[in-house]
Amino acid sequence: MAPRGEAAAGPAPGAAGLPARELILGDLSHPGMVHVQTIRSPAACGRLVSVKAPTLPKGYRLILPADIPGENRILSFGAELPVLAAERVSYVGEPVALLAGPDLSTLGDLAESTQVLVEEEEGTFAWKSFASEQVVAKRVAVIGDPELAFSIADKVLEGEYDSGALEHLYSEPQGALASFDYDKMAIWCATQWPYHVRDSVALVLGGAGEDVVVRPTRLGIHLDGKLWYPSLLACHAALAALLCKKPARILLGREEDFRYTPKRARSSVSLRTGLDATGRLTALDFRISLNVGASGPLAEEMLSQACVAATGAYSCPNVRIEGYAVTTNTPPLGAFAGLGAAPSFFALESEAARLASAAGQDPVSWKSRNVLRKGSSLVTGDPLKEEPPYEEIAERLGKASDFGRKWACYELVRKRRSGRADGPLRGIGFAFAYQGAGAFLSGGAPNSYSVEATLDKELRLSLKTSAAACSGTMIDLWRRSASELLGVPLEEVSVAPPDTDLSPNSGPVTLSRGLTVVNKLVERACVAIQKRRFRDPLPISAKAVYRIAKPLRWDGGRIEGSIFETAAWGGAIVEVELDPWTLEPKPLGLWLCADGGRIVAPARARAALRSGAATALSASLREGLEFAADGTIGAEYFRYGILPPGELPPIHVEILEADRRAPAKGLGELPNDTVPAAFMAAVAQTAGANFQSLPVGPEALADWEET
Amino acid sequence: MTIHFILNGEDVSMNATSADRLVDLLRERFGLNGVHADCRRGACGKCLVLMDGRLAPSCLLPAFKARGREIVTYEGFAQTDEYADIAAGFAEAGVECCGFCDKGKILAAAAVVERSSRPTKEEILAEMAEVPCRCTDPETLVRGVQAAAERREGRRYRRASQ
Repeated sequence: MAPRGEAAAGPAPGAAGLPARELILGDLSHPGMVHVQTIRSPAACGRLVSVKAPTLPKGYRLILPADIPGENRILSFGAELPVLAAERVSYVGEPVALLAGPDLSTLGDLAESTQVLVEEEEGTFAWKSFASEQVVAKRVAVIGDPELAFSIADKVLEGEYDSGALEHLYSEPQGALASFDYDKMAIWCATQWPYHVRDSVALVLGGAGEDVVVRPTRLGIHLDGKLWYPSLLACHAALAALLCKKPARILLGREEDFRYTPKRARSSVSLRTGLDATGRLTALDFRISLNVGASGPLAEEMLSQACVAATGAYSCPNVRIEGYAVTTNTPPLGAFAGLGAAPSFFALESEAARLASAAGQDPVSWKSRNVLRKGSSLVTGDPLKEEPPYEEIAERLGKASDFGRKWACYELVRKRRSGRADGPLRGIGFAFAYQGAGAFLSGGAPNSYSVEATLDKELRLSLKTSAAACSGTMIDLWRRSASELLGVPLEEVSVAPPDTDLSPNSGPVTLSRGLTVVNKLVERACVAIQKRRFRDPLPISAKAVYRIAKPLRWDGGRIEGSIFETAAWGGAIVEVELDPWTLEPKPLGLWLCADGGRIVAPARARAALRSGAATALSASLREGLEFAADGTIGAEYFRYGILPPGELPPIHVEILEADRRAPAKGLGELPNDTVPAAFMAAVAQTAGANFQSLPVGPEALADWEET
Repeated sequence: MTIHFILNGEDVSMNATSADRLVDLLRERFGLNGVHADCRRGACGKCLVLMDGRLAPSCLLPAFKARGREIVTYEGFAQTDEYADIAAGFAEAGVECCGFCDKGKILAAAAVVERSSRPTKEEILAEMAEVPCRCTDPETLVRGVQAAAERREGRRYRRASQ
């Protein structure tokens, strides 16, 4: 039984190649459908004593952990969390029960009258210094002899940089619809990982994966906020559908979604750096703490990503990395436009401005001397196989922004200032990064993917992969790649819906896998068809499977394996002006340059980089979530302001040309990896002082002014 | 109370209480699912409609505010020549939305080009601030709206000269 989906009239502009009617979860309804309301824990930590609902009208039902026919848990990257808290609660807002019934407003009234009794205990919210029982993941790696290198270093500097929680503001709040489709439980939800939803629901219902089919609805912009949480809501909807024997939908309101769904994990990077007399990096020592909230479903992966990205774009022979992911009694925290590398890039790049100053060099000269080159040792000890084009990136960005002259002028002006009456202060900052793509580092998610291609008798090509849950841009890219390889007209190439019954498991849609891995598989499957094209009768099918050869291993202080399949290299420059009276930093310009390998649609790549840069700048300047004493988010959704488009500076994007045979790479995370550090460096230059965290707004600058 | 108004070019009437919000009635009574009530605070831009040619958040509007007005939703606007101008302008500039904010952005573009035949970047971005979404590059959006405005002017000129 399929739900009724009402797509709005008229095609969306720019949606060529996509199905005309893509389903939006909020528009899906079903005759006789029940709604599901979550009953949440009022306490951050404690023993759950009871959940008492008022007398329920006919057709309404309370669902408790005891009603779960299968297992009361969801697995994610080696971590697990309860579908409904049974004995203990671990954050305010944790689901403890569900109410299901036909009328949403009656459900709301019933939910308000439902009493949740918790024997409250003191919650744990500290995460920079923490107890050993809070640690859910730990990484230690030592390369070379850092202590010896520090002892003979010419200069040793120390710094600490924090990255706060951020709201994704994805296109649609989280939700799921569940309904029996003959003998299967069918789930509709907007998810980056259809097979995770399938397996989670099967585990909770006590069935096999084949008993569940997931039909992803339109995902929209997600910034990695829809990796595992849709699986939890799908389990809630499936439980309600099973127990009420009716289709069931759960759809969070914006405010509810804002308060209880995962935000970006908070992180703190303390680093010690050693320089020789020429300013070359000789030693690095990192201590990374990651607050992953309750349960920490992505902790293993995020910590691995943060640790391997710690050395950033730089080469250093002696490195020590110590990383901890710690749980607290806040709602689970997780990924944001990447799986944890951005805070590490932010820390080292922000520190780089100080290091350059300590070495008596301008930032570009210092960075150019220390960046990774072909043959440089990576954290795994393996040599880098390709030459990162950092010199060209620095040259292009420097030319476009006039960085060298501006940086020198602003230094001079700041040093000669006599006070506020001298007018606004200006600063300009520069940051490098790379986007490693393709592999999961923790082994907690499948590192094998597959694509099936079939050329039928009418010479139409169909592609099947569950990664098709991602954007139209990606789908268009696969279609173009296949069309070019097989000479099939573009309009004859289709990508099957990412239905788990129709498409093979391609892992979650993140880390630009759609570009780096799945596109490669599309090409391989098409090449296989091409070879058989005039030998075998039509239809011809080919399947391409990909497995990461060397999964990452952390063993006795050593890291072994592949840290990325391929990497996109990039840099950013941000120029800001600081009003001396209001202390409001105003961005004047943003320049971004990236080498993304073979770019199939340059205009789209530029637009994606510009919108990514706008998001990163907004996060650096305006956004940031504070947590209240009980671990809840101390703000309201409608007060969470992103930078309005009218306040964005001109964004200049350059993409380095690549050979047509070069592999396609993911670029989407580069703005988030470079812009915050470039912005921080620019603000630091205006103030002549260093700041520890973003956003650097008037409050932080007022504190600096006072001190 | 009974409220009479023009909805997508047709005279309609409906019964509503003073507590009813326009967005709910548009969805439930008229089946217009292009409007969504995500936040109910006028902050997400998913519920936007054109009220007498101006952008208005229907989740904040009491239904009685529609009395005697002209309300145009995305579904109605999608049947007009002005929609075709905007769709073509967006396609020309390469505007790609996430599939959720596109309706609000099209209506915001409609409101801008209705007011100004040559909208400036500032005018466009001020209107687009009503649809906060991280998906679209603002510069592409500006080019798209300006291209739409040019097409609209061209169409008007051709019509006038016929």
